[in-house]
Amino acid sequence: MIFYIIKKELKEIFRDGRFRISAGIVLLLAIIAFFITFKQYKNTTLQYDEAKKSERRVWESQGEKNPHSAAHYGNYVFKPKSPLSLIDQGVDKYTGISVFLEAHSRNEAGYSDAADQTALSRFGELTPDFILLYIIPLILILIGYNTFSKEIEGNTSFILKSQGVTGWKLVIGKWLAVLIPSVTITTILFVTAGIVLSNMDNYGLFEWKEICFLYLVYLLYYLIFTNIVLFISSLVKKSGISLVINLVFWVLACFVAPKVASDLADTRYPYPTHQEFNEQIAEENKKGLDGHDPWSDKAQQLKAEMLKKHKVDSLHKLPFNFNAYLMQKSEEHQAEVFAKHYSILKQQAKKQDDVYKSLASISPFLPTRFLSMAIANTDYQSHWDFSEAAEEYRVDVQRFLNGTTEKNSKYGERYVAPADTWKKLKEFEYVSPTFKEVFKQNTSIFLILVLWFVISSIVLFFTNKTY
Amino acid sequence: MFTYNFKYELKSLLRSKWLLLLSLTLLIVVLFAGYNGKEKVEKRVSGLERVTSEVKEKDNAMLKILDSFEKGIKTNQNPRTLPSAPMNVAYGYPRVAAIPAKALTFIATGQSDLFTHFVKPSVYGDSFSMDYTELANPVQLLFGTFDLAFVIIYILPLIIIAFSYNIFSEEKEYGSLKLLASQPISIYQWLLQKTALRFFWLTLITLVVIVITLLFFGFEFGSNFSSFIQLISLVVAYILFWFAVVLLVNILVNNSAKNAVSLLAIWVFVILIIPAVVGQMANVFYPIPSRTKMISEVRELKEELSKKQDKILDNFLRDHPEYATKNGTKNYSFWHKYTASQDLIEEELKPLIDSYETQLQKQQEWVKLWQYSSPAIIMQQSFNNLAHTSTAHYQEYRSQVAVFSKEWRNFFKPLLYSNKDFTTSMYKELPSFKYEAPKSNSVILKVVILLVFSLIFLSIGRQIFNKKIGKGSVIV
Repeated sequence: MIFYIIKKELKEIFRDGRFRISAGIVLLLAIIAFFITFKQYKNTTLQYDEAKKSERRVWESQGEKNPHSAAHYGNYVFKPKSPLSLIDQGVDKYTGISVFLEAHSRNEAGYSDAADQTALSRFGELTPDFILLYIIPLILILIGYNTFSKEIEGNTSFILKSQGVTGWKLVIGKWLAVLIPSVTITTILFVTAGIVLSNMDNYGLFEWKEICFLYLVYLLYYLIFTNIVLFISSLVKKSGISLVINLVFWVLACFVAPKVASDLADTRYPYPTHQEFNEQIAEENKKGLDGHDPWSDKAQQLKAEMLKKHKVDSLHKLPFNFNAYLMQKSEEHQAEVFAKHYSILKQQAKKQDDVYKSLASISPFLPTRFLSMAIANTDYQSHWDFSEAAEEYRVDVQRFLNGTTEKNSKYGERYVAPADTWKKLKEFEYVSPTFKEVFKQNTSIFLILVLWFVISSIVLFFTNKTY
Repeated sequence: MFTYNFKYELKSLLRSKWLLLLSLTLLIVVLFAGYNGKEKVEKRVSGLERVTSEVKEKDNAMLKILDSFEKGIKTNQNPRTLPSAPMNVAYGYPRVAAIPAKALTFIATGQSDLFTHFVKPSVYGDSFSMDYTELANPVQLLFGTFDLAFVIIYILPLIIIAFSYNIFSEEKEYGSLKLLASQPISIYQWLLQKTALRFFWLTLITLVVIVITLLFFGFEFGSNFSSFIQLISLVVAYILFWFAVVLLVNILVNNSAKNAVSLLAIWVFVILIIPAVVGQMANVFYPIPSRTKMISEVRELKEELSKKQDKILDNFLRDHPEYATKNGTKNYSFWHKYTASQDLIEEELKPLIDSYETQLQKQQEWVKLWQYSSPAIIMQQSFNNLAHTSTAHYQEYRSQVAVFSKEWRNFFKPLLYSNKDFTTSMYKELPSFKYEAPKSNSVILKVVILLVFSLIFLSIGRQIFNKKIGKGSVIV
């Protein structure tokens, strides 16, 4: 029975000219989006490799130099593109790609793509995630809005009943028929992406289980949408009204809910401006040790401590270079200040995140969006991971440079390190969080999505008994 | 016929409670959007006020110290940071270079959530690579703001579609069209009037709601009347465009459900697909060169130049003999070398830096050219222009800041080289920054284009209607 219903519905769907046109357009758009994203991905990866190599070359060929000068000269670290960004670009466009690491200050990642684009890009871009998140649900609506209402309008519901069809079988049959075309498009897209990624030489840490899970998330999203579309279609007797209600739901879920969520989050837990944030840090830094100001009280205090500890009466007699030691101590203090303020900022981000999560229960779009970005490693959390790894590396670099001066020179002398010093610094390697870690962080949001599916299914199947 | 039509439409609208529901929904939505916009603008204004007053305070303190110094009174200021040394002022007392909010800024967030609204360019640092991005949660940037522009560009057409997708087909489906056809009236005129009346009511409600919102958030009509008129005419033209589309679809398709599907498809195309495609094409045809590459190039150049700093200073003095010391002593400080090489760096990097701005410029020109492919793009561009939050505005701001920071450095350079003190009398001559908005195209052209679009659709509708009348397929 179910098989017959599916066959009949599919035949009807494929006969419909509007479906054929729109499915054709979506497939074409998906191919273009995929192709463009793939090209960009390859380009960015190439640029990343080049920049990384050239950066290291510049760093190693500094020649003879004072290590603290080298610290001010600084180094750049670059954020690698995650393989699954091919499917979901997430917030990558809005976060910078490189962090400048220097002495005394922690810098934000600079040069986001969005800042280099026109305002038009804020409409949304033709990327696979745009198709997956916005357009395919629309196809589901287009196919499913009249599944039940057409039986009433065409007076076929009585004939159906007289055939002895069971309510749940009819629902399942129609449900599957609505799903099949969209799921086919999605499957093609994911399989292509998987094959392309696994065949690339330099594809980073691509894993099939990640892409499979991503596929599962989108599948759940479409199941939820299908449930809702069929539910609306079974409630409303007229196809036109059913379509309008479906459309309103789509706009509310995909456009209005995210915007309202972001406005609520920002009003309740606002971010400081760059200026404010930097001033707070500068203010607190001033209170501590300044490596460039050996005359300050704090520095004098440290000097007295060191002299006492090593039982000598002059800095010259210390077994290490006190200036470098002072510099390192001040660096440690500053790093602490930065860590403190960034953790305050992270707290604020966490609170905003909670607002988004709590609103995920009003729109199935939100949990899908967040899960998709998280699995693709293109969400805000992965940006935090990267910038924290960069900061850790920065602190290590400073320790290495100040340590070099401290060990190899005496107090009062200007130490010039030999040219091969720079090679000894370990390279920055960023490893993005594993799938397990990502999943652990996002279990609650995944549960919300599952809950959406369960509740919408229950509602659909229990309100449909009359059919 | 018109009065009957008017009365009938009004009665049926009032009875179905559509009008009430619509007005209330629009009012709430628009007020909420206005509130969001205002909140952002207020944060921006208060931030700017704070920083300006801080600078003022700091200036006053500096003037006091300078005054004491000139009178020979001793102060407890660290001699290394005395403001009588010009470079200490140039470095430690930068001016605020701000892009102020305008009266209509709150209607469209545009690019304003991406960028900072004031910088303090000092004599140290690269004005070309100054960071303009604002600290923000990227998720927020991704989702965007629920602002007035969003309501008008995205939501309003949907309201129009939901409001009148079956304006004609309904009559046919209820069988009342046959009754109407038997009357001695022109069906086309009747349909046109019916649509015009709905257009009238929706426009009236929208305008009233917008005016209430503007009043509520303290918009000054007197001094900003022209921007108000521009806003209103854009909104009216946009509503007209969508009604023309609705009318055309009603005539062409004339089946409620199919109408709704077609209108939905048009909405998706005009508002989602075309802008996304045009934007993507701008990126593909005029790609912004790699920033990672720029970083490496800047560093390599700087490293190269820093090794030759003494030579650069020599060359600089040869080019600018007025700066060389008269008695031939070569007692040049860090600042001498720095300012001399900074000029060179900027000069050398200018082509590279410009390549980003010109590419962005080209992207904008592309968008400008193709904006006519979708009324949604026209609206977004015009709203951002009215709100002063467009890409062009921020680009202009950046270039003006670059000019200003050079002016700031050049003000101190003669003092540095001639070894003169900075004095209280010079304070008034300090360059200050004033942002000049770029000349934006008037919206008249855009409104006219929207009207032309509507007229084309209306006349196509008329043609099809006539054809259908000829075939006798309008009523059955």
